[in-house]
Amino acid sequence: QIQEDLNKQLFDNLLSFLRQSHSEFQEKTTEWTCRMKSREIPTAALVLGVNVTDHDLTFRSLSEVIQNNISPYIALLEAKDCPGIKNLMQKLMGQLMNCHIDVDSLEDEDYVQVSQNRVRCSMTSLINWYETVTKKTDSETLRKKRTSSSRHCQYPPVVVIFKDMESFTTKVLQDFIVISSQHIHELPLVLIFGIATSPMIIHSLLPHSVSSLLCIELFQSLSSKEHLSTIIDKLLLTDRFPFKLGEKVLQVLINIFLYHDFSVQNFIKGFQLCIVEHFYSQPLSVLCCQLVDAKKRVNSLSHNQCENIRKLPSFRRYVESQVSEKQIALLTTDSYLKEIIQKLLEDLHVYHENYISVLRCLHVFTSSLPKYPLGKQIRELHCACLENQVWETEEYESSLQLARMLNKSELVTMLQQCVEIFVSSFGKEFDKTVEKLKEFLTQFQKLEAEAFQEQDVSVSSQKELQKKTDLYHLQKTLLELKESRRSKKLTKFEMLRFEVVDYIDSLVRNYLVPADHKTLHEIVYFNTASVLREHLNAAPRIALHTALNNPYWYLKNQALKCDGGSISNKAPDICIVYKLHLECGRLINLVDWLEAFSTVVMAVEGPNSDAASSDQVDDIIHARFIRAVSELELLGFIKPSKQKTDHVARLTWGGC
Amino acid sequence: LAKNNKENKMSNLVEEYFEAHSSSKVLTSDRTLQKLRKRRLSQQTLHDLLKKAPLAYAAEIKELNQQHESLFSKWMLQLHLGFNIVLYGLGSKRDLLEKFRTSVLQDSVHLVVNGYFPSITVRSILNSITEEVLEHIGTFRSPLDQLEFIIKRFKEDSSLELYVVIHNLDSQMLRGERSQQILAQLSSLPSIHLIASIDHINAPLMWDQAKLSLYNWLWYETTTFSPYVEETSYENSLLVQQSGSLALSSLTHVLHSLTLNARGIFRLLAQYQLENKDNPSYPGLSFQDFYQQCREAFLVNSDLTLRAQLTEFRDHKLIRTKRGADGVEYLLIPVDDSTLTDFLEKEDEDV
Repeated sequence: QIQEDLNKQLFDNLLSFLRQSHSEFQEKTTEWTCRMKSREIPTAALVLGVNVTDHDLTFRSLSEVIQNNISPYIALLEAKDCPGIKNLMQKLMGQLMNCHIDVDSLEDEDYVQVSQNRVRCSMTSLINWYETVTKKTDSETLRKKRTSSSRHCQYPPVVVIFKDMESFTTKVLQDFIVISSQHIHELPLVLIFGIATSPMIIHSLLPHSVSSLLCIELFQSLSSKEHLSTIIDKLLLTDRFPFKLGEKVLQVLINIFLYHDFSVQNFIKGFQLCIVEHFYSQPLSVLCCQLVDAKKRVNSLSHNQCENIRKLPSFRRYVESQVSEKQIALLTTDSYLKEIIQKLLEDLHVYHENYISVLRCLHVFTSSLPKYPLGKQIRELHCACLENQVWETEEYESSLQLARMLNKSELVTMLQQCVEIFVSSFGKEFDKTVEKLKEFLTQFQKLEAEAFQEQDVSVSSQKELQKKTDLYHLQKTLLELKESRRSKKLTKFEMLRFEVVDYIDSLVRNYLVPADHKTLHEIVYFNTASVLREHLNAAPRIALHTALNNPYWYLKNQALKCDGGSISNKAPDICIVYKLHLECGRLINLVDWLEAFSTVVMAVEGPNSDAASSDQVDDIIHARFIRAVSELELLGFIKPSKQKTDHVARLTWGGC
Repeated sequence: LAKNNKENKMSNLVEEYFEAHSSSKVLTSDRTLQKLRKRRLSQQTLHDLLKKAPLAYAAEIKELNQQHESLFSKWMLQLHLGFNIVLYGLGSKRDLLEKFRTSVLQDSVHLVVNGYFPSITVRSILNSITEEVLEHIGTFRSPLDQLEFIIKRFKEDSSLELYVVIHNLDSQMLRGERSQQILAQLSSLPSIHLIASIDHINAPLMWDQAKLSLYNWLWYETTTFSPYVEETSYENSLLVQQSGSLALSSLTHVLHSLTLNARGIFRLLAQYQLENKDNPSYPGLSFQDFYQQCREAFLVNSDLTLRAQLTEFRDHKLIRTKRGADGVEYLLIPVDDSTLTDFLEKEDEDV
């Protein structure tokens, strides 16, 4: 049940976040729908991006918002429900009626009336829908419009949302637009198109005559990459959730997102899978919860679980670093172990808190550097920190060097941001750091004042310079100036800058130790990326290929062991047939194939088969061949061909 | 370096493709099964023969299966958490799923769909859900309506739970766009748990992003190496006698029950077709020519009788008519030439 709790918590968080991110965008649209009242059909084109899977949520919340604020009449149409104009009208009617009921459900009489309406409508529509389709649906909707609009004093528009514009058939869409444009005076329609690709699609789908009936305004939604970064920000870089992702897992998830589908939903699915897998496979995951609960649970650990803890590699490392008496106590007495575990868990918790704020701080520094040596996004930085000791990497070196060349105003704003981060974080250890940073800031302010003075001085000296036209004096002052410049090699500001950077460096070294180096990290970190890759991003073809090419991989029989390339004649039938088929071109002659197969198989059975039963054996081999070939056909490697008699065509090419 | 290697590999792959498809001329020998002088095996004899052949590596295969079976409880957990499970890998996964069903799903409502069965349709799946699980009597106008009804019922009643086991989700009948869409929508219901198996190498091409997210798959590799017995029994293989096209025995049976003249008419057509068998553009015998020839052989006396006779042939699927480019009807016997030759030889023996 912990998982479910976690899942729920996580999901709620996500949903609220997604809503939030959409709300701004929705407000724009809703406002706009309010405003529109013209001859043409007002149309909002929402450019949503290719991650089709996430759009559901967007539309759901959009319709909610519209329902609450503007008009109760919303229909959500999907392309798969509307192969023809008839289905579209039916669906539209049904949804509008339903909407009506939803909104009016408090008033009983209305409910009855509407449901009657609905029944009548569907009945008549069943009888002779086709002849009266336009008249009836339109009059029906129009009447409904009128009856209800008398109550809603201002005429609320009927909003029709086309979820997936690209997959609608052109004809249906055109017909619907033309029909509805005829009745736009009586029935104020507003269309919303959800577009996955680009707004050009409207013009390629609709001819000019139709698109001129629309008054289109374009809306752009947030890109899914931004969603991802906010989600990572909220999910991974908080201490609210005790469960953490290891570096490799995170990398896999991000890769799937960036290189495959851009779908936030799939990312969440992967995250869910991680949670499930972690709590299922790791016996110590019971301790993966808030610190208070974890301490309670530690006390109630059984002996076996204690043994499990002792087996953890990170714990072993810890034990080895202790004194010998302590080692013995840790390895033998459970009660002592529990005490230590509580302390270690606390350490881990504190580590997370510190980690996050220091990470953000570092991100503030690195994200403004030219060329982004450590990455632009905080997730890249996070990965880099998890992967290795970040201060040992070249990128970190170069970014520090770049940081040493920052100018003052940038540095000051960065320091201010860092202070904010530290203040908002709850870790108590940062009081000192905050103080230190504030000190830096005040020093900077002082420096600023000094700089003014200095400027004054230099200005005055220049004035002096202008005053005195004496050659000797001029030479002298110039020399002095030169001298001062040389000695000014390190001004106070520069010194201070070095100090700040070094301080940040030390922070990083103290707090951004990768999680792998922490004791008991196995409890909260999930780090088996292979599981994730297998279950989310499977490659069925590779599995088939290895099974057919190298059956030893699966069937651990010594007889099957062979060096790659050659056919082991003891392999299962289908493997032999497959290997033989690999040697052919585009077409395969069945007879030759059969003969080759029987030669290979006979080589095994040859010695102990006698001539008398050879016919019998032949038949069996023939049967086995047939089975193997039809299996290959089922798997899609070959298909029967009409080009030549008794030939099959290969559907794959090359060696796989 | 690794990247470079990979690129090399990629370009090799591309070249291999074009190499395989470059020359339209294919060099294979001209031998045919006919010349092998080997009778075609019927489904039954094939089955019997295969029974005699021992299954290789039974012990190892059993071990593999045991490995997969240890995952059952995990699957159940994941199914309950809203994932659906798809199995891939070489070998029939039927027995594995069957075992899963009998050992884990015994007490819960479940539905087994044999995708490899050639006459399965989505509608029949939906019907069995509405009729047997929901116990609803009545028909629906379209599968979409039916789906809507099912979704509504499952949403209303949270106590309903259904496990759907689909063998071969990628079979001929279920791989269509619409059926996959419907199945995906079904499986996206939280109270319907789907566990399916796929075999075809291109099976994942069936699903686009939207469907994939509806399915919410977790992939499991379950290579079993067990033979596809049930699955291929419906696959009309080249080497097995095909029930779909006319075999020699059925041909003779039908013709023996006809009149002498009718047999003569068929013979005439068969002979004409065999004479032209080397001509690839041979469209068939036009009706007028055929009528002329039959008249000359005193087989028919009027246009009408020949037409009646041909209708009878057509009912028995002995001939096929095809309209040519010039609008003339051409007659063909939809039997391969070797069978036809055998038939004529046999007829000659009889006479």
